Amino acid sequence: MPIGTGTYVFGPDNATLTVRTKKGGAAAKAGHDLEIEVQKWEARLELGEVSSASLTADARSFKVIAATGGAAPFGAEEKAAIPQTIDEEILKGTAIEFQSSRVEADRGGHSVAIDGELEMFGERRPVSFSLNVGFDGRLSGAATVTQTRWGIEPYTALFGTLRVADDVIVEIRASTGS
Amino acid sequence: MIELDHTFSTGKPTDYNWEAILDLDRLVPCVEGGSVLERTGPDEAKAEIAVKMGAMSLTFRGTVVIAERDDAEHRAVVRVKSRDTGGSGYANADVTFTLSDGGGSVHTAAQISGKAASMGEGVVQTVLDALITDFTQKLAAI
Repeated sequence: MPIGTGTYVFGPDNATLTVRTKKGGAAAKAGHDLEIEVQKWEARLELGEVSSASLTADARSFKVIAATGGAAPFGAEEKAAIPQTIDEEILKGTAIEFQSSRVEADRGGHSVAIDGELEMFGERRPVSFSLNVGFDGRLSGAATVTQTRWGIEPYTALFGTLRVADDVIVEIRASTGS
Repeated sequence: MIELDHTFSTGKPTDYNWEAILDLDRLVPCVEGGSVLERTGPDEAKAEIAVKMGAMSLTFRGTVVIAERDDAEHRAVVRVKSRDTGGSGYANADVTFTLSDGGGSVHTAAQISGKAASMGEGVVQTVLDALITDFTQKLAAI
């Protein structure tokens, strides 16, 4: 089902915004790949003569949904501690905002190409990604966010032998409601 | 048992290095996350080390004792016995320093159990190697 012109508003009620992190470093075997869901966010997609896309997310609303890999089991205590660590040591509650500079749907309405700037940790950097429109009208897209481009030092532990990979994948999955 | 060998350079004379290594108030803080809690004697102290495992930290608390010293050979064994404050694991080590002009060598023989050991021997060895490498770099400025 192609996407048509109009205004689409997305948030936790009709969509998911997920952050996927990978482990790295000499002791990567000890760490976990994480799937983190953003609990408070809003996005707006306008398709028409003047198209645009924007998103705001609360850096303090991250929740670990799944953890895979790792030498030891991933406990509830660690699950709860990660959002606190993200808040206190990584993002420090700074604003997360995306504003498009170009939004272009293909002729068939099956994909939307988006360029823009993402503000995070007080820095604005360009980001490009595509939203694909499924037959059921659902939208999905992913962007790679390289932490150091925003001045974020990837998190390390175990005396630097375990680290979060610099590239983080941000995924959006949404229903267009039609 | 994990055994590791490292060397370090201070650029200082043996006597200076010897005095510095035997001073637990100077030696223990060279371990990242390590601190002396209480001096219980000239050659022993209560100490702890906090290890960042991920989002969580493990704290090991116990004793650090200069168990052997050979002033003529400038060789000393520092014995660490500690327990995980949040569990039943332990981390024990005999750290042997052999000093010379400008630096020295460190031989570590460690035994670790509990949550830290559950990461697997290969990972524990990698982490311990990183810890001691950092320790020897800090010794350069002791």
